Amino acid sequence: MSTRRLFDIDGRTERYRSVLRENWFTYLLIMPVLLFLIVLMWLPFLQGIYMSFNEWPFGGDPTWIGAANYEFLLNWEPFYTSLKATAIFSLTTVFQLGVALAAALAVRELRRGKSFVSAAFLLSYTMPPLVIGTIWAYLLEPDFGPVFGYLTELNVLGETIYWGSSGPMSLAVVMFVTTWTFWPFMFLIISASLESIPEELYESARMYGAGPIQTFLRVTLPQLKSAILVALSIRIIWNMTKISQVLQLTNGGPGYDTSILAVLLYQFAYERGQMGVSYAIGIVLLVMTLGFVFVFIREFERASEGAGA
Amino acid sequence: MSTTGYDATGVTLKATAYGVVAFLVLANLVPFLFILSVSFMPPSEFFTDPHLVPYEPTLEAWTSGFEELRGNLVNSFLIGAGTALLALAITIPGAYAFARKEFYGKTAGFYAIISAMMFPYILLVIPIMDLWTALGVYNTIFGMILAYQVFVTPFSIWILRDFFENLPTDIEEAAQVYGCTQFTAFVRVILPLAAPGIVAVGFLAFLTGWNDFLFANLLTTGTGPVPAVPVLYGTIGGGSGERVYWGKLMAETLIIGTPPTIIYLVARNYLESAFSV
Repeated sequence: MSTRRLFDIDGRTERYRSVLRENWFTYLLIMPVLLFLIVLMWLPFLQGIYMSFNEWPFGGDPTWIGAANYEFLLNWEPFYTSLKATAIFSLTTVFQLGVALAAALAVRELRRGKSFVSAAFLLSYTMPPLVIGTIWAYLLEPDFGPVFGYLTELNVLGETIYWGSSGPMSLAVVMFVTTWTFWPFMFLIISASLESIPEELYESARMYGAGPIQTFLRVTLPQLKSAILVALSIRIIWNMTKISQVLQLTNGGPGYDTSILAVLLYQFAYERGQMGVSYAIGIVLLVMTLGFVFVFIREFERASEGAGA
Repeated sequence: MSTTGYDATGVTLKATAYGVVAFLVLANLVPFLFILSVSFMPPSEFFTDPHLVPYEPTLEAWTSGFEELRGNLVNSFLIGAGTALLALAITIPGAYAFARKEFYGKTAGFYAIISAMMFPYILLVIPIMDLWTALGVYNTIFGMILAYQVFVTPFSIWILRDFFENLPTDIEEAAQVYGCTQFTAFVRVILPLAAPGIVAVGFLAFLTGWNDFLFANLLTTGTGPVPAVPVLYGTIGGGSGERVYWGKLMAETLIIGTPPTIIYLVARNYLESAFSV
């Protein structure tokens, strides 16, 4: 028994050694990327987990306090406001999908001008999100921004709306701006996938007498499924963690009504200097997003297999 | 004319499609028209009735905005360019290996890298602030370039791998027959063929460096190399009632937003082919 195991270990190290000898150049090629990701991602991440169990002032020395940061959050009323805001805010991803799908299907019908149209669509996505947030802060400014200016002048509204003082309206504004900014990303992925659907599928659908709605449900949608899930899972995580627009438009207020978890994390780190609590919030956020990572990998795999076949 | 009754659903479908496109194009362009207009207005005009064409157009907002941002724009450019170069240097070899070589741990390694794309980056900011201070790169351009590699490397590997993978399989061997070494075959044959992917990745990396707010704001302080984007932050004053010179602010948003847009328009063919999942 013991000799066998010894033999095994010998065999195994021998195998590793030969794998290394044959492929050392390949491993050398991927080394930089792996090294960067370990140093830039995994080490900080592990340090962060350790941080969340400490009282850790910025630039100061940590003190181990166990799970006290998490306990603090669970007993802190605004944390629940923030969770609720995060859940509602994440619906922006669904709106983005809706707009992107409609846009991709509509653009497919165009005979000409496709290039101009998709350039126009992409405008909001190429600019820095904070720039777009600042632009909308002006457009939606209640006293002299053009949106409410025209709405009151044309008597659609009796008087302007000070949305900044209402929680639900602030959240709606933030969601609107986020949707407006980021839907083109999904549009890119979905229209690329739409282009790759073989024409024969449509022809045979037509031959069997399928109407436009049936064709969409039975042919287009199943073919787009992987692209949609990849786009959805990337976007849902990115939306939840992009904070510049929320900070610029509402700064998380009024109260904590638009403080999605990522904003709360930012405020604890930057404004209060409590890195430990901040990271504890980050862990909660990570747990919320984890499921989507698996969806992403599975569908990514499926999509690349489909492309290879 | 006689075909109008012939394919009613087809016509409705087309009409709907054109309607959707027209609506979305307007929804995307009209806001920018207003921003452009207000950036040419003198301060006295913001507070009058809304109007699109300025009564007394002035360049004042643009010149003072540009003056204020000049140093920051240089920083943004250096950070963007550095991010792109470093990203290409570390991901081209890796992507090549993932596309063209067989080795133990290939799939696992690839997904370990790709799934980093799904990591909520905001979680890294705090430890990186701490780590960068310890390493002495906090508040430096190099520190920013380094930090952006977290965002950039995963999608670079993804895009470049696809490009390398789609090249004909025996092309390196053919080059070697003609006297190239493995390395010169890579440099003279593979790299030029993968140029569209490399250009796409370079542009995307530049955009990441230029557009980001989070790291830009947290990894620099007022005394350091602040890029252009964070300058906009806090200018509105979060409803503090302070008077904002909107014309200048909007001119600045356009000054900062234009380079990425131009880059996008130049590179869009590359980018669109890179996005086909």
